[in-house]
Amino acid sequence: MSVFRRGLSVDNPLTVLMIGLCATLAVSSKVDGSLFMGLAVIFVITASSILISTLRSLIPELVRIPVFIVIIASFVTIVDLTMHAFLPDVYNFLGVWIPLIVVNCLILGRAEAFAYHNPPRLALADGLGMGLGFALVIVVLAVFREFVGSGEIVFMGLSLVKMPEWYRGPGIVMLFPGAFIVFGFIVAGMTAINRRMHARTIQPMHSCTIEEGGPK
Amino acid sequence: MDRVASTPVRMVLAVLVTCLVSATALTFTYEATRGRIAEQEKVAEERALRAVLSSADSFEAMETSVLERALDVSGGVPVAGIWRAIGTDGGFAGFAIRCAPRGYGGPMQMVVGLDRDGKVSGVSIIKHNETPGLGTKIMTEPTFLQQFMGWDAFAIDVAARGYDAISGATKSAHAVRAGVVAAGRVYQQVLVGLGDTKGVTIDE
Repeated sequence: MSVFRRGLSVDNPLTVLMIGLCATLAVSSKVDGSLFMGLAVIFVITASSILISTLRSLIPELVRIPVFIVIIASFVTIVDLTMHAFLPDVYNFLGVWIPLIVVNCLILGRAEAFAYHNPPRLALADGLGMGLGFALVIVVLAVFREFVGSGEIVFMGLSLVKMPEWYRGPGIVMLFPGAFIVFGFIVAGMTAINRRMHARTIQPMHSCTIEEGGPK
Repeated sequence: MDRVASTPVRMVLAVLVTCLVSATALTFTYEATRGRIAEQEKVAEERALRAVLSSADSFEAMETSVLERALDVSGGVPVAGIWRAIGTDGGFAGFAIRCAPRGYGGPMQMVVGLDRDGKVSGVSIIKHNETPGLGTKIMTEPTFLQQFMGWDAFAIDVAARGYDAISGATKSAHAVRAGVVAAGRVYQQVLVGLGDTKGVTIDE
């Protein structure tokens, strides 16, 4: 359980570990796209973590990265084909970012740093926690960007909330620089919450071992 | 837990088995989703056809022999399909040509509509791999696709000289123009006459 919670808070992949950012900044301009991106990442990271953890004694150390990549790429391709078949609009919006989950360092990073060294039960908790942590942040980011930037949140063709007619959103929020700025505030907020909640138990902002040997 | 040693045989075996299992899993997923994906592509194509020739009521695909002749004149731009559009009155309404000019991120699938006078009536991009935020401006800049409207297939090279690309997306913009020019050439050199004669046979 504590492994699961770490992904959401003190080891959040986006706001603390800061891995897998490029896809996040790119797709977080729309809420529905971000939600499905989050779900895709949850599925891929959980499934590949469990599988890698189960097989970890059978994977020779020197070829672990190729094996990880093949496993992750297979799950991503499954997601890619399924989305293409059932959610064509979301698939068109996410475009190249779905196949790019393969090289998202979040997933390979967790495989390398956690799943390869821990039993499946913990790998499941870690995958779910990391995936949910990712999805949560990307959706929060997207809600803010879409609402403030375009003045309206459209979810699967349905308008959820709308600013009054006179509202003209600042265009920068929809672009990459705006994504960085909004993301910066989310990081600041998350850090403040983490500090307050874990001040007694965990030293804040300790370094993690993920980047070591992980991909860019 | 003890890990297997990294001997050459074990390494080859591990990668081989992983690849085999993954390939099997993907084969099944592909088979399971193939039908629906083809269906979705068809819907997207149909939508693009309607977008470029709004006056048309139905579309009928041209034979492969026409397609082969179109490939000879399109100047290297692959032509994937040609449709004869039939208007609500049952007569010939124009042609829609699906082609795939090279954009910045590979082939760009687009449909160009030409009305019965050979004027471009619409351009629609079905699928592309252009850079988000830059190359995608070809679709988000409101005036960009508009400027191709009315280009004359019989003077397509003249029309192509006066055109505005998008700064930062020159290659993507050029690709769209290449697609429109190719469609114009196909219309002028292959399709002209084909629409009306067929329309007559239908009337009889």
